Amino acid sequence: MFTFDFMDKSSSGYTKIEKSDIFNNEFMVHAEALYNFAYKLTHDEDESKDLLQDTCLKAFRFINSFERGTNAKAWLFRILKNSFINDYRKKSKNPGMVDYQEVETFYNSEGSEGQTQLTPDLRSETVKGMLGDEITNALNSMDVDFRTIIILCDLEGFKYDEISKILDIPIGTVRSRLHRARSILKKQLAIYAASMGYK
Amino acid sequence: MGTFVRWIQKAMMSKKARCPEEEHWLELVRLMLDGQTTEEETSYVIDHVEGCYRCYDNYDLEKEIREAIKNKSINLKVSDALIARINNEIKA
Repeated sequence: MFTFDFMDKSSSGYTKIEKSDIFNNEFMVHAEALYNFAYKLTHDEDESKDLLQDTCLKAFRFINSFERGTNAKAWLFRILKNSFINDYRKKSKNPGMVDYQEVETFYNSEGSEGQTQLTPDLRSETVKGMLGDEITNALNSMDVDFRTIIILCDLEGFKYDEISKILDIPIGTVRSRLHRARSILKKQLAIYAASMGYK
Repeated sequence: MGTFVRWIQKAMMSKKARCPEEEHWLELVRLMLDGQTTEEETSYVIDHVEGCYRCYDNYDLEKEIREAIKNKSINLKVSDALIARINNEIKA
């Protein structure tokens, strides 16, 4: 049977035109968010560019497994996160990066819950007065896995179920990891505020 | 929350008064700010927070940290050259 290529969509795939449409209109609109996510993971502009490019190429290669109209942003963030873990983290310039499980075990065994969760010294007015660099430094001082979950939730506005899919962890773990990450961040901000003489 | 109500609370309550279930409420406040609570749960949390100095402070701080992360983070732009590079790779 004679068919035009652009009309020939098999049951398992999109036509070239559909692929191009999905890529340009559903994927590339998230390029900036992906690039910033990559930068916050790597702290390196060149690596972030490569990571964005890899993510886009993988997304295009596996476009048939993407269901049109579903959450493209979460799907792309998941690809980027996996690329980062599999390719970039291994050859990271930062040898100090450690596995999340080790960090979680460490923090879970550190002192009582109250000590790590509550930081009465930090005031909302202090945080309000902090500069972007100061917030970024506090965030960057955290382990990448804790930083990632804060970025996904607070910066990108993903819901717990979306984060669960992006990070491949149960919702209960999202909740506990996020809770732990927030407590660590608060502590970092309090330490930073004290060192900078904020009152 | 009304400023007047907050002013009255501040005037009447000791700043150092601790909430006996502060950690429990902190967890609920975080879930609420993350949009993970139902309408009913949200009113339940707000009712407590409005009447508890410590929990209101925690709520205020949690909200401020989220806003700071959202509004004060570096936002890099993707260059046209990078977009072109990606498109060329796709076409190749």
